[in-house]
Amino acid sequence: MSAAVATKPRKVRLDRSDYALRGISYASVAVFAAFCALPFILIVSASFSSEAAIMKDGFGLLPKEFTFAAYEYIFQAPRQIIGSYVVTIVMTVSGTAIGLFVIAMTGYALQRKDFPFRNSISFFIYFTTLFSAGLAPTYIWVARYLELKGSYLAVFLQLLMTPWLIILMKNFVRSVPYEVVESGKVDGAGDFRIFLQLVLPMMKPALATCGLFLALGYWNEWYLSSLYLGSTVEFKPLQYHLYNIINTANALRNSVAGSNVSITDLPSNTLKMASAVVATGPIVLLYPFVQKYFVSGITVGAVKG
Amino acid sequence: MRKSLARAGAAALTLAMSVTALAACSPGEAEESGEPTTITMLVLGDKPTNGRLEAMLEKLNVRLEEEANANLDLFYVEWADWQTQYNTQLLSGDDSIDLITTATDWLFAWENAEKGAFLPLSEEMLQEHAPRTWEQVDAEGHWELTKLDGEIQFIPEDNFTQWTNHGFFYRGDWATEAGFEDGTITKFEDFTTYFEWVKENQKEAYPWDAAAGASDVALTGYLQGHTDGQTIQQVSAGNYFPFQTTESDPNTVGSWYMEGDELLEAAELAKEWNELGVWREDALNYDGDTREEFYAGLSGTDQHHTQTFVGSIVDNMTKKQPGSDPKFFYWGQENGNYFRDILTHGAMAVNATSQNPEKALEVYDVLRNDEEAYKLLNFGIEGTDYVMTDDGKLGYPEGYDSSTDALGSNFWAGRMDEFEPDRVTDAPNKQEIYDQLDASAKDYPYSTLIVNKDLIDPTLAAMGGVLSEYIPQLQYGKFDDPAAAIDEMRQKLIDAGYEDARDSIQTDLDAWAESQG
Amino acid sequence: MVAALTPARVQLREAPTTDKPRSLLSRISRNKTLLLMCLPAIVFFIVFNYIPLPGAWIAFTNFNYRDGIFGSPFVGMRNFEFLIQSGQLWLLTKNTLLYNLAFIVLGNILQVALAIMLNEIRSKYFKKISQAVMFLPYFISVVLVGVIAFNLLNFDTGALNALIEQTGGDPIKIYSIAGAWPIIIIAFHLWQSTGYGSIVYFAAIMGIDNSLFEAAAIDGASAWQRIRYIILPSLKPTFIILLLFSLGGIMKGNFGLFWNLVGNNAALYQTTDIIETSVYRMIISQNNFTSSAAVGLYQSLFGFAIVMLANWIVRRINEDYALF
Repeated sequence: MSAAVATKPRKVRLDRSDYALRGISYASVAVFAAFCALPFILIVSASFSSEAAIMKDGFGLLPKEFTFAAYEYIFQAPRQIIGSYVVTIVMTVSGTAIGLFVIAMTGYALQRKDFPFRNSISFFIYFTTLFSAGLAPTYIWVARYLELKGSYLAVFLQLLMTPWLIILMKNFVRSVPYEVVESGKVDGAGDFRIFLQLVLPMMKPALATCGLFLALGYWNEWYLSSLYLGSTVEFKPLQYHLYNIINTANALRNSVAGSNVSITDLPSNTLKMASAVVATGPIVLLYPFVQKYFVSGITVGAVKG
Repeated sequence: MRKSLARAGAAALTLAMSVTALAACSPGEAEESGEPTTITMLVLGDKPTNGRLEAMLEKLNVRLEEEANANLDLFYVEWADWQTQYNTQLLSGDDSIDLITTATDWLFAWENAEKGAFLPLSEEMLQEHAPRTWEQVDAEGHWELTKLDGEIQFIPEDNFTQWTNHGFFYRGDWATEAGFEDGTITKFEDFTTYFEWVKENQKEAYPWDAAAGASDVALTGYLQGHTDGQTIQQVSAGNYFPFQTTESDPNTVGSWYMEGDELLEAAELAKEWNELGVWREDALNYDGDTREEFYAGLSGTDQHHTQTFVGSIVDNMTKKQPGSDPKFFYWGQENGNYFRDILTHGAMAVNATSQNPEKALEVYDVLRNDEEAYKLLNFGIEGTDYVMTDDGKLGYPEGYDSSTDALGSNFWAGRMDEFEPDRVTDAPNKQEIYDQLDASAKDYPYSTLIVNKDLIDPTLAAMGGVLSEYIPQLQYGKFDDPAAAIDEMRQKLIDAGYEDARDSIQTDLDAWAESQG
Repeated sequence: MVAALTPARVQLREAPTTDKPRSLLSRISRNKTLLLMCLPAIVFFIVFNYIPLPGAWIAFTNFNYRDGIFGSPFVGMRNFEFLIQSGQLWLLTKNTLLYNLAFIVLGNILQVALAIMLNEIRSKYFKKISQAVMFLPYFISVVLVGVIAFNLLNFDTGALNALIEQTGGDPIKIYSIAGAWPIIIIAFHLWQSTGYGSIVYFAAIMGIDNSLFEAAAIDGASAWQRIRYIILPSLKPTFIILLLFSLGGIMKGNFGLFWNLVGNNAALYQTTDIIETSVYRMIISQNNFTSSAAVGLYQSLFGFAIVMLANWIVRRINEDYALF
């Protein structure tokens, strides 16, 4: 298995087209990255600006009238935000681990050419992306019959897997050569052991990709939380907590509901921006660690025929 | 695995057979001497996290145990996406909720009553378990306002004065300089003069920095002040209320969007304002906090209702723009075409699936009528949440910050004038404003009219689509030729089925008028 | 020589297909381990998707809580009527379809291009940082995307018009030009999804057998040939699966993006209104579970038809790539 670590082939020799492609690549990636970073810089700088300055002059690349006011508001009750971080991290880590294992297992089974049910099961899974019961029936079922209203499980379970990730995994697993399975069979291993001990270790890029998507799903989730958790839990998942901060003022302004409440002086613009920074920061810092697996986990070539 | 499959299958069968067989309410007759029953009340608002609510509830529950052998707990439907959350909460048939805050104009009371979300309340039940409330509402004949098919569906907040009639807030100091006597504007069209002055003399400010959300207010303002149209509040199409009768002919349903020249006049005035630069060029997409801008002197006008004016505008402007002399011009001020608040702007219903409906009524009766309980629930603990000033006003203790220290109990379904003191943040001339409004306000004539919307729902939705396409653009003067646009809109509304909907409402109105005698 | 590097070589050796048809029971028992491995996922989809599915019947009822979904009065197609009465159905269907097509086509092209270019980058830090940065837009709530767009594009204070004025041009009323918005919306969509979407392709490229590149290098293949004959063919299965998934949702729009960019600005609806936004305006603030279910059903049926067709075509061309 040591052969799994393949050497970079492209050191051999480079012709002009390689240099051209490389040049284009560096330039394009840099430009696109700049486009992606620019609005975020605006957001960061706005989050450190005073509300009055933003109101008057709009956003800028540098903070105007530098202040921590928006962050102070978000962190005024640090218990809340720390609790939200903990809830989200626990859900993300455990959900990704469990979901990924199930997805990998299913994806592996579904690509086995000698598995006669693979087409029907694939269709069974894919079909759910086309038709869904819709908001009300699903809600009644999950909230009343599964009794998951007010439970983190309502969010946790529903995000565990998606048809898309299973089919994607199935597609990735194709690149694991059948010889691996065969050699396992020769050694007398069962299908599950072949999967666990031989195939799984060779699927790193697939696991990293699907795991990343799963984790992002958990991290960014606010919709299910708003339906099934609402105010019933002490600590809302992070994005839902921030979603509430961002949208409360919007929901009240100009709505009839506002007749009973005086909307307090929230620093609304800067607050929105600061909450975006708080929600995004950690996972962006995390990304390089995940990325490692894309680079190191080149699987194919383990068994060279 | 097989077991869980079987369970899932059985559950599926249950679902298929009766998705919402609401449990018949078993009267949870807790012995009066036994453990106190906990009653959960659904309120709107963000759940407070500052600990003040819990402290208050602890004291309140002592009182409730004495009075009704019960405890109170609050369940919050939070502001972000509150419409969806409120309706899905009712959809879930959650039997842990006993009392539900509702309202006919903004909390879907009739729709939910028709769907069977509320427990119909019999007279005997109310007399026995909420006697004080029963008497009060009965004395004024207000139960009629809450009946569907002859059954009482909820309890109205009918002894609480509030004015939610909309209008412009503007600055008296600027109006004075613009040439208005006393800084008082008395006609809708006169705002053109005010706006022109602001544009000319206050370079920093928009005359009226309007936001996208306010997408029909000025049209409504003009129409209300220039017609005797009375909007039928029970029927909305999307965000709009397209059906009116007139005061001169209260038995004929029509629409001020469909008939007369006033809509065109309003649209032409809006076009003039747009060209003047009253609002941002991109007002239709602007989502800023325009109230803050008014407070900051960056906008000459703001828009909302009387309650906001007396409760926060005056106080804030006096502090943030000293000498600005904030004033309020309300729609229909020039011709007296405006209405008192309907008495079901707040109401309390009992959940159809509540385990303890009788106890819930008993608790409600205490909250509404017992002064000690009322003050605890609404104002909190005296000394920490509020203080009474020497002149008998409700104020706040030193260092109190309303943005972090609010009690947030949000009991908006049974407030009583007799227990409500003036507040230190109230406009000094609050009573004057109320009296002035009271002098010529009309009572909404159709409070007990029930419109059967089942048949016209598709039409209303389609009309809502058409209106959302034209009204915002008319309001912000964005059509080059408003007359042509209005013709086009009217044709599309007819295509969407306006006439059928109108006739259907007319039938309901006729039947109602007959029953009224 | 390069021609020898046909996609066929990328295809790994086929597993033996099952021999003769057997009885269902024996097939189940022969494959019980593999079936058990699929079981958790199957249970998951039964519980969260299939059991509530019959509830879609709600679209044909005048639903009330007392009688439940299956006890409420049947009203036939009435919940669908408003779509037709609004006179907008064709425009909305067309807009939704065209936007989604643009998203799919342009999105995939950009994602593939980006993945290939990322693969060319040798500097470890450059690669890591640029990839992390390209993820940022995915995390920005659409509410903020709307705020950013307004700050860039609005007439009075927008950054773009400030720039135009500085260079001596006349400011543009972008929020009144309906024709500009398809481009703007597509640009924001691509901006938000490309970095995220390219991950799949990037991972697929990383999974390509290195010996292929080595052989190509020995054969003296140029960079372009490498892309044309090795990378693109090996991305094909991924592309087809992505495609089939996006086709299923071809009638479903990204409500948040459209609503936050366009909102109440009816002057732009001709080119920007999609099913979700229009329906939202028509039945907003009414707890209309039935009409929204009806719209969902319409979108599903449309997507279903397109996918079945597409999958049938794919199957005819190459059975391996078909979804089912």
